[in-house]
Amino acid sequence: MTGIIYLLPSSIPFPLLFSFDPRISRLELPEVPSLPTDKVALDQFPTYEVFHQRKENAAYAYVGPVHAPEADVAFLFAKEQFSRRFPCTGMWVVPTSAIKVTEYGDDQQSVYDRLPLLPADELGTAAATGQESYDIFHLKKRGKAHAHVGQVQAASPEAALQAAKAAFGDQRPVVNVWVIRSADLLRSDDEDRDMWTTTPDKKYREAISYKVQDRIDRFKQEG
Amino acid sequence: MYGSASTHDIPAKATTGLENEDPILLAEFEARIARGEKIEPTDWMPQLYRKQLTRMIEQHAHSEIIGSLPEGTWITRAPGFRRKMAQMAKVQDEVGHAQLLYSAAETLGKTREQMLSDLVNGKSKYSNVFNYPTPTWADSNVISWLIDAGAIVNQMANAKGSYGPYCRALDRICAEEAFHLKYGHDAVVHMATGTPIQRKMMQEALNRWWPAIMTFFGPSDKMSTHTEILMRWKVKMATNDACRQQFLDMYVPKIWEIGLTLPDANLRKNEEGVWEFSEPDWEDFKRVINGDGPCNAERIAVRRAAEENGAWVRRAMQQPKAQYVRPLA
Repeated sequence: MTGIIYLLPSSIPFPLLFSFDPRISRLELPEVPSLPTDKVALDQFPTYEVFHQRKENAAYAYVGPVHAPEADVAFLFAKEQFSRRFPCTGMWVVPTSAIKVTEYGDDQQSVYDRLPLLPADELGTAAATGQESYDIFHLKKRGKAHAHVGQVQAASPEAALQAAKAAFGDQRPVVNVWVIRSADLLRSDDEDRDMWTTTPDKKYREAISYKVQDRIDRFKQEG
Repeated sequence: MYGSASTHDIPAKATTGLENEDPILLAEFEARIARGEKIEPTDWMPQLYRKQLTRMIEQHAHSEIIGSLPEGTWITRAPGFRRKMAQMAKVQDEVGHAQLLYSAAETLGKTREQMLSDLVNGKSKYSNVFNYPTPTWADSNVISWLIDAGAIVNQMANAKGSYGPYCRALDRICAEEAFHLKYGHDAVVHMATGTPIQRKMMQEALNRWWPAIMTFFGPSDKMSTHTEILMRWKVKMATNDACRQQFLDMYVPKIWEIGLTLPDANLRKNEEGVWEFSEPDWEDFKRVINGDGPCNAERIAVRRAAEENGAWVRRAMQQPKAQYVRPLA
């Protein structure tokens, strides 16, 4: 034996859960659960939003959130969650709290039309202070995913939205815009691109690998 | 993997609460859905919509987590390396689906914490079929093929629903389920067309699972005010009966063509193209869903153990200053 100590049931003070499945019985779980456990509020991690690139040169598109204690871990979770089944050539993660969101418009409209103009002096002073890069994402239709449209230079998220209107405002419809300071996005490195190439090996995960009709036909013929 | 069977609908007596909603906002909300537009998390929505969707998506997420247990237990015992890998990939998919769904439910305002607590404390339901055991490899195959097939019928319908985050999650989920379905079909066909012993094992598994499968979509809908409103709001996309009929139409011929039989003498398609069958035992269904099934205690105990055994990892990674932020979309 490998040094695993099997406790005799009699040494345990509560009746054990019996399962026909030996793997479950070996867990030695109590038959009757102890008191209800209430998870402490915020026993969960902050959320990060994830964008992926389906193929080279395609726009990054939103795929969903993950919970993680920090950006690196969020990236790992995101890779596991969103790239393990579908082709992917790049991934970005960003803390949810770092995203500036406009209001949602109707399909067929552009939210840029409803954007209040910032006073010129505010934009002016902004230009004087340090400019930063912002990434802009558009939602074209409700229920679809936000997609990356490009970057603008601005001194604040509000100014970035104005700059986005000037740069991308002719695109339509735009139901919603996300503005993200470029520095807040954790991006996969081009050098590490081989980490996305595992998917093609795993043919057993593809529906197309299962050609069952031949077997059915043979069975019917042999009747 | 999910059917309507676990969705405990709001009792017909409960009021819709609509009289308390702002009539202008309500009209705008309904007009948006009527135009075929999706609702996004920051939009105004009636309480009933939020409540019913939260319940539905949460139960769907729980079903994915709990549904991975009866199949997960067969990973180490699956016949052959390739099947072990495939079974593992499928179980991993199901758990991933739960993650997507919890996030979608979170956008409606209930935290993931609360949902996980409600699951291990027995406050939330999950698909009732997972309260039954998988005593043989063939039982696991029946889940992979037919329970997933039922879930796909349900999920394809729900993917056309009105709530944006749920649709986004379901689009991904449906794409992955295509593999599950083919994998499950392949496994069942392999057994059914194999040696007499394999064939017998598969037939017995099918006999064990058929009654549960027939309850998968839930009892006939009573057309209450709620059903009518939830269908108009595209929360509920098809009646339980319509889903069941679609499932029978798609899969009974596939079961029969490989020489398997179904343990219901009354099962047949009538002249009008409608499937007739013996009414499932809804009393038994109620008993099991309320806790008295063969595996209810085991499923929750295993889930609770996983939760408790992983607590130290989460504690170690906790950032005390981190603030929870509801996901955006």
